[in-house]
Amino acid sequence: MISALDAIGSRLSQWFSWIGGIALLGMTALACANMLMRPMGAPIAGAYELIGFLGALVVAFSLGHSQLNRAHISVDILTTRYSEKTRRLIDAVNSFLCMIFFLLVTWRTAHYATTIWRRGETSETLRMIYYPFVYAVSLCCLLLAVLLLVNLLKALFPKAGQKA
Amino acid sequence: MIGIIGILVLLVVMMFLQMPVGFSMAMVGFCGLWYVTGLDSALSMIGTETWANFSSYGLTVIPLFMLMGTICFYSGVNKGVYDTAYKWFGRTRGGIAMATVMACAGFAAICGSNNATAATMSTVALPEMKKYGYDKALSAGAIACGSTLGVVIPPSVVLIVYGIQTGQSIGKLFWGSTLPGLLMALLFILTIYVLCARHPQWGPAGPRVKITEKLKALPGMSEVIILFGLVMGGLYTGAYTPTEAGAAGAFFALLIAITIRRKLSWKGFVGAILDALKVTSMVIVIVWGAVIFGRFLTISRLPFEIVELVSNLRISPPLVMTAILVIYAIAGMVMDALGFLLISIPIFFPLATQLGYDPIWFGCILTVVTTMGAVTPPVGICAYVVRGVAVDIPLSEVFKGVIWFIPAYCVTMAVMIFFPEIALYLPSLVR
Repeated sequence: MISALDAIGSRLSQWFSWIGGIALLGMTALACANMLMRPMGAPIAGAYELIGFLGALVVAFSLGHSQLNRAHISVDILTTRYSEKTRRLIDAVNSFLCMIFFLLVTWRTAHYATTIWRRGETSETLRMIYYPFVYAVSLCCLLLAVLLLVNLLKALFPKAGQKA
Repeated sequence: MIGIIGILVLLVVMMFLQMPVGFSMAMVGFCGLWYVTGLDSALSMIGTETWANFSSYGLTVIPLFMLMGTICFYSGVNKGVYDTAYKWFGRTRGGIAMATVMACAGFAAICGSNNATAATMSTVALPEMKKYGYDKALSAGAIACGSTLGVVIPPSVVLIVYGIQTGQSIGKLFWGSTLPGLLMALLFILTIYVLCARHPQWGPAGPRVKITEKLKALPGMSEVIILFGLVMGGLYTGAYTPTEAGAAGAFFALLIAITIRRKLSWKGFVGAILDALKVTSMVIVIVWGAVIFGRFLTISRLPFEIVELVSNLRISPPLVMTAILVIYAIAGMVMDALGFLLISIPIFFPLATQLGYDPIWFGCILTVVTTMGAVTPPVGICAYVVRGVAVDIPLSEVFKGVIWFIPAYCVTMAVMIFFPEIALYLPSLVR
């Protein structure tokens, strides 16, 4: 069960990072185009808000990739001195707390998306709906919570984790 | 009081549970807000704050500058820079170590991260110094400390984050940090010169290089000059926003990689994007956590109370500033500097401005002290990176090498304190 969850989490993170990468390239192209068009008196309408939305996709869709690569900085000055058992326990507590928190973030971001959807809220310049982007961020937070769950299970059942 | 408890809980969570800095700041900030303002308000805050941070136009500058740096890394621009410096200065005593520092400064001008500079330079310069019998500690120290120029010489992720957090112009911060960064590089070179003058066997002279070869190596530096000029020139004239500067930098880095260098494979291109995503996510999660934690601190009124307390103590501003720098130096020893910077900005920024220090100057001096934290033991990330590459150099030797360069950081800060113009003159010219 752990290995299946692990495989799904890794695969999804990989796909998500592709979306993040495409958003990053799109953002680069859009910012460059706007920079070139502005002196000609024809700036791209709504470029700033589009870049902001793409930026949200870049950050959110790379959350899983960063978590899998342990890119998030932590202070390990004390934990390196712990015994293997204590370290596993600490890892489990840590993963559990983070998982709960990111489930909260998932819920609240989705709630915010639903609110602006119901209100019919649109962006300032382009007047386009943007709640799908907010839902996308929420979905990425959910993926992070799943990866943290895998971490938790691996810490609690190290042998099953190794098999994975 | 609740603010102080919040900081203590944060430290416990980060130190004892080894929870990532960004996650722990967000979580403790959320719990603090829950306690002070109630659950409903705290819950609605995390939803809106997550979206507001992730979609902030100001923060989009981070992935774009990261992409510029990673494309340069994967296309081997760093090697060209090192090759130029090596051929021009390698012949002198300690010259290869000096060339390494110069190459670090050059690479720092297109890359905003210490770790990327450390990893890059370790792989390029260490084998060369080993080949010529350089002292292990000196080699490792020169690379570790040279790589800390990564965030001092613009573009710099620390300055971007500081600018966003405090509402200061990123362009002005970049220009403000340029001269202190160059001074620091010069002081590193001077340190190597003095060490090799006293211990000639530590840095034997490299091979003689013909002048034709030296001239041939010059184009290796041109790409850095073009990219740096493009980014900083645009920010100087106000022609484009920092985000657009980053995008233009990334685009031209890609153009150079494809048309001039022709060394960027598809695999390298994908690697550059994935690396940029990884660092972006890491930095923005820390900023997001810091914003939530900062909200809590503001509501707890701790920053205002500290400002009031220090003002009432009537201590002279230079003394307070020195104390702030000492706190940063100590914190940099035990935790990641960027994390601590973001935790502490809500407290120290109002204090520094209240004492009459220029916000741009403060950002620049904080960059120097936090970058020093990247090499000081026991938690010196850049020293770890160098150790990771140099398998035959023990960590203790790396730290021994680093210690020789610490005076250079202190002198840079002292010059900035006594001659603030070094960080303020260039920003004053920015339109």
